[in-house]
Amino acid sequence: MGLRWVKEKVRRSMGIATVKRITVQLLTLGALLSAVQPSYAIPAFARKYNLRCSDCHEAWPKLNNFGQTFKDQGYQLMTGRDAPIYQQTSYFPIMFRSIPFWHRESDNRVATDLVPGNPGSGQVESRVTTSGFDISGLDIWTAGTLYKNISFAVQPALDSSGKAHLLTYYVRFDNLLGSRWLNLKVGKFELDTLISEERELFLTNTGGFYQNYHFTPPGDRTSFGLGDHQLGAELLGHSINDYTRYSISVLNSNDGQVGATASTYDVYGHFDQGFELPKMGLQRIGVYGYVGQRPTFFQTSGGAPIAGTGMGNRSFSRTGLYGLWYLGKFDFTTFYLHGQDNVFLGNGVRADQPFNLPPGAAGPTWNGGFVEAHYTYNPQLILLSKFETVQMSRQANPATRKNLGDVRVWTVGYRWYPIMSSRAGLAWHQEYARAVTVGTAPLTGRDDVTSSFLMGFDFDF
Amino acid sequence: MRKRWLPFVILGALAVCFAAGMAPGAGFTAKAAPPAPGAAVKGIVKFQGTIPKPSHIDMSADPKCAQIHPTGATTEDIVADGNGGLQNVVVYVSDGLGDRKFETPQEAAVIEQKGCMYKPHVVAVRANQELKVVNADPTTHNIHPAPNNNREFNQTQPPGLPLSATFAREEIAIPVKCNIHPWMRSYIAVFKHPYFAVTVKDGSFEIGNLSPGTYTITAWHEKLGMTFQKITIGESETKTIEFVFKAQPGS
Amino acid sequence: MMNGSRIALVLLMSCGIPSFSQESAIGNLTGHAKSGKALYRRYCITCHGAHGDGAGENAPHLDPKPRDFTRSTFKCRSTPSGTLPTDSDLYDTISRGVYNSGMPPWRPLTRQDRADLVAYIKTFSPRFHEEPPGTPLLIPPEPPASPESVQRGAELFQNMNCWSCHGKEGRGNGPSALTLTDSKGYPIVPFDLTSGMHFKCGDSSRGAFRDLITGLDGTPMPSFTDALKPEQVWDLVHFIESLQSAGTREASQAKAEPNVK
Repeated sequence: MGLRWVKEKVRRSMGIATVKRITVQLLTLGALLSAVQPSYAIPAFARKYNLRCSDCHEAWPKLNNFGQTFKDQGYQLMTGRDAPIYQQTSYFPIMFRSIPFWHRESDNRVATDLVPGNPGSGQVESRVTTSGFDISGLDIWTAGTLYKNISFAVQPALDSSGKAHLLTYYVRFDNLLGSRWLNLKVGKFELDTLISEERELFLTNTGGFYQNYHFTPPGDRTSFGLGDHQLGAELLGHSINDYTRYSISVLNSNDGQVGATASTYDVYGHFDQGFELPKMGLQRIGVYGYVGQRPTFFQTSGGAPIAGTGMGNRSFSRTGLYGLWYLGKFDFTTFYLHGQDNVFLGNGVRADQPFNLPPGAAGPTWNGGFVEAHYTYNPQLILLSKFETVQMSRQANPATRKNLGDVRVWTVGYRWYPIMSSRAGLAWHQEYARAVTVGTAPLTGRDDVTSSFLMGFDFDF
Repeated sequence: MRKRWLPFVILGALAVCFAAGMAPGAGFTAKAAPPAPGAAVKGIVKFQGTIPKPSHIDMSADPKCAQIHPTGATTEDIVADGNGGLQNVVVYVSDGLGDRKFETPQEAAVIEQKGCMYKPHVVAVRANQELKVVNADPTTHNIHPAPNNNREFNQTQPPGLPLSATFAREEIAIPVKCNIHPWMRSYIAVFKHPYFAVTVKDGSFEIGNLSPGTYTITAWHEKLGMTFQKITIGESETKTIEFVFKAQPGS
Repeated sequence: MMNGSRIALVLLMSCGIPSFSQESAIGNLTGHAKSGKALYRRYCITCHGAHGDGAGENAPHLDPKPRDFTRSTFKCRSTPSGTLPTDSDLYDTISRGVYNSGMPPWRPLTRQDRADLVAYIKTFSPRFHEEPPGTPLLIPPEPPASPESVQRGAELFQNMNCWSCHGKEGRGNGPSALTLTDSKGYPIVPFDLTSGMHFKCGDSSRGAFRDLITGLDGTPMPSFTDALKPEQVWDLVHFIESLQSAGTREASQAKAEPNVK
């Protein structure tokens, strides 16, 4: 969460900007926001409809199919009482979420001065471990209906230093022309996916996000995260029980950066289909693709780039498929991603200066995926595990080591919800995650191993 | 020689099985039939205190009812005569009959919707006995009993359409209403045995054909509650008892 | 095993220990109460209560109140008034929800889950053990909605005293309307037939026909199955539909729910 952002800043300040890193690139505000780990479990809806968290959430914040349908319907149950006129006048759809916790972070290869305080003494790689109490940022989330079939969501999230960002901000016109196949969302929002990073069950700095959603190869300038909240418009449709879903979005080519325009647009498409297997439950398979462009240089005035005037745009893509599998109390999520960036983006070279490309330069490509497994003992206890990997299949610069930047992460944990009511939520959370990134140790180029342990109280009201 | 204990275990379980008597409704049959019934209990139910004035019912909502009762009618929740004799009290044997079973009578009981009121106001029937519901009015009614221990149903009944109902379980008593005419109210008491009576105008009742023995007799009134007393009657004896209901505070 | 043991074993098995496991049958699905119990705990308990008596933690905040399954009285059925609903009736109510109430459409649950819930719900009342569900009433094909049919329906609306609750114009403001209570004693309002809103138990002409002949048990809405012939019920349906303003009627017909999966 906030700590991960701090850790990254510490690394940069050590002046190792030239060393290629593959940990989360926190260059843009959008990426920074994803580090704050907001997640959605919305007691405001529980209050509005008199339903428990467990009705919509497998184990909050992870949605079950009933909750996903509710969301796709524009936060409406379609029982004729969705419009705000049916609420008590005192009802206001606001909720807060925060997490006080104790954690321990460790990185086995950090460049440290041989003699603390003396930069001239030379540097070695050593293990740095920190621990202590901390708090996550604060999620403030308000969402619901403005009118029947007009829904909205606004999320001003605060990071752990109290700084606010506008993370989510949209209005949505639901069931256009009386059809559930036409819903238009405009604003800033998370891309449509059933594997939502915002609803992920993991919280640590190491395991609490999807590497695949943020991976950028070493030296690559593409600022993009599949899990970042983008700016644009989305058309989404779904069947009556949400078994069939599609969405098409048009986004700014600036990774959701607010207050800045872009000269091009990106496109994202997603389709998924659910089906029931007898005695096992609902299964789903989905396919997605994001195709975008990023500028390689800007128009300038007096040498300073003019925002929104990106030039030399080159393309990148993220495509893949996933499955959500339910076998009684077990459920598995399997995910695959193929990433591809243009050669100019991959090497950080202006598109009008191809002579700057290293010999044999190519567009970097990589493949990644994860398997996430849960065991929902009952609505108040869930066991969690995840294994994730990203592997480069082609480096942008052939001189680079073949698997530089590859990452493997193991995460295990559990959540116990001692109370399950229709008004507020509390979870006791424990988690351990360990990540190995290949070749990114700052001095020796060996593998860098980071780990996080967290235990805390996740509360939501 | 192997598993010698097995048959004993099984037989033991069998014994437990029968002892529990788990098959529903498998009651033990009665012991020897009781001596010939010739005893009776009779008496009077009285209301003590000032008889509250019944409220006025305005039937103008349904012109057809208003035609029959141009000046309206009065509520029937407490009906007593000049001597305090309380009508519409259900008096019945609530204990002392053991597990005796009684045959369901073939003839039907009757409740009528007449003048947009139920007649009688309280009717007592046997479990599974046919209750004929008669609409003797020129307007449509709906018959809607709201039981706790029997099936609830709700049927529209235009003038003259014959309807029947039965109630399978004992319940004292089931309130009945007509949703079309909200002032209409009656009660159906359902019994497993024939030893009951509903008091008439002067509050009197008689329950005959009893065998000698000790019984608890209960009196139930829709507003004033329940009261009971224990009696012992000998062969061919007729015992006279009295029940008294007091006015409720504030009524 | 010795002979004696065999005989004893046979006697034991013929004990007829009643099976307390409940099952439901909807189409080719079989639901099991044991699985339904876990689902009930997740989805239903907050309104319907741990004992199925409609006294869940949210019940005080809801109007209409959640169904009390222990009374085995249900509004939305295909069976005669006073009889138990079929498993399919309960399944359809779970899937469709009850419009204008706190009961959501649980269609996003799998078919098996919904069948399991039906099986579990039946365990709350012994009546489901003791008697079979009623025989579903037949809904004959609808004759055309001619002006004569609407006129006959108007006369029936008058003679059957529908107006005493629903009002002369069908707006739900008849002389009895303010006196009405449901079977638990809570105030209840008659449906405003002019509102164009979805009926509680599902839409379409067939839905209206079915509501008229089965009655909505637990409410003041009676059954007309003995009082009217089927063609008369269709006349009444046509009149009721004419009460809705033309725009909303077409819209609600168009939205008549698809075959519940």
